[in-house]
Amino acid sequence: MELVCPAGTPAALRAAVDAGADSVYCGFRNETNARNFPGLNFSDAEMAEGVAYAHAHGARVLVAINTFAKAGAMKSWADALAVADQAGADAVILADLAVLDHAARHHPRLKLHLSVQAAAATPEAIKFYADTFGVRRVVMPRVLSVEEIAKLNAAIDVETEAFVFGGLCPMTEGRCALSSYATGKSPNLTGVCSPPEHVAYSNDRDSTATRLNGFTIDRFGRDEAAGYPTLCKGRFVAGGKTSYLFEDPVSLNAASLIAALSKAGVTALKIEGRQRGKGYVAEVVKTFRAAVEAVEAGRDEVEVGRLLAGLVEGGRQTSGAYKKTWR
Amino acid sequence: MVERFKGELPAIVRFLAFPAAFLPLGQALTFAVRRFARRKPAMFDRLGDYGRCSFLIAPTDLDFAFLVVPDGARAEVRTLTRRHGVEADVTVKGPLLVLLGLLDGTFDGDALFFNRTIDVAGRTDALVAFRNAIEDAELKPSDFVGLKGEIAGLLDKWVFRGLDMARRLTGAPMGGEAR
Repeated sequence: MELVCPAGTPAALRAAVDAGADSVYCGFRNETNARNFPGLNFSDAEMAEGVAYAHAHGARVLVAINTFAKAGAMKSWADALAVADQAGADAVILADLAVLDHAARHHPRLKLHLSVQAAAATPEAIKFYADTFGVRRVVMPRVLSVEEIAKLNAAIDVETEAFVFGGLCPMTEGRCALSSYATGKSPNLTGVCSPPEHVAYSNDRDSTATRLNGFTIDRFGRDEAAGYPTLCKGRFVAGGKTSYLFEDPVSLNAASLIAALSKAGVTALKIEGRQRGKGYVAEVVKTFRAAVEAVEAGRDEVEVGRLLAGLVEGGRQTSGAYKKTWR
Repeated sequence: MVERFKGELPAIVRFLAFPAAFLPLGQALTFAVRRFARRKPAMFDRLGDYGRCSFLIAPTDLDFAFLVVPDGARAEVRTLTRRHGVEADVTVKGPLLVLLGLLDGTFDGDALFFNRTIDVAGRTDALVAFRNAIEDAELKPSDFVGLKGEIAGLLDKWVFRGLDMARRLTGAPMGGEAR
């Protein structure tokens, strides 16, 4: 199975390739990219150099241009497609209908992947994207069980890519308005969930408070694991009880499901984490490379959960919706 | 309960290192960072306007801290003892060996934050930009002392080997372990 790995910087791209990535996904330093954080991402020249490095080492580069274009301001997205094409990228990961249409018309060399941001989870939706724009791969929304993915794969004739490790979004990818409710910016339009200029941490003797644009969204004790400063992972009072109302701070780990995902027809396994350091990228990619090879060779499973325990959000791991144990 | 990384320097090291705060360490580091900026300007391009922000890097196992303004060829580094009450745009606190591991990419900053090994405060946008710029720069000791070629490789090898040994002695995770 193909291992698709994250890179937020050229150094992380090289780390991913060196650690055994089949493909690396990355994006430009602007609003076309759903990981538009300060200091992160690639200039036009860095993208061309990154593609050259990956190709020289037998890996592919998938460029994420996966935000939704603003009405009347399509130029940034069209430029990003042109630069990705010129850089020699192997595929682009898109979500927006207009961007897909532009890519299909003007950049026929580029393979089109449908971003998880498009939240296409039915055969009808996927067929529409495949028939209309020639989409060849769909990134599965993180709402489906393995059985649901198997049924979906039986009904479509494009490749599917499934997340196996890293951060989780609650169940409305591409449609989440929580960040824009609090800050005016969202991953969907400006490429940032909880933009860092709106995030503040304050430490006192016993705890750390997380504030998002003035709203206190969590407070954790000195010995309590922390998570990302997003509203979906904040703690709130509801029904007289304080709890993680939408989602716990926890990382996805579907390493134990690699064989099942393969059997379900999944083509590629995706690791989340373009905002993470190259230490994370190298370690996670190396571990999952070994895990995939072990499954393919019929050897004992690699203990991914133990090996990567020090890297996970909130100090906890979950198989997420793949098992839907809450049902 | 979170399992924090170990790696605090022994108290004797803190005691012995204290006089360093009164040496011209700040000037030496300022000179080194400016030299690095001339050799590898890409890191400072990535940092952009955040280079003019002030970053207080406070090792929890030393009695002094570093105030860094990473403004390329105009960069400044000052050493401050605990008596200095200084305001900075960003504050990062953690064991020295862990903070050095962030500089060379051994550790992942988010993981250190999740497991509470480091504390951060102040402007998160500046901190994120600084972290990402450092991450991409692939910093090596030889970059700061202006060495090139074989001798640079030897210096880097010995410094990284020394850091590995120090991490082993203090119980900090090594490169390749729970980063």
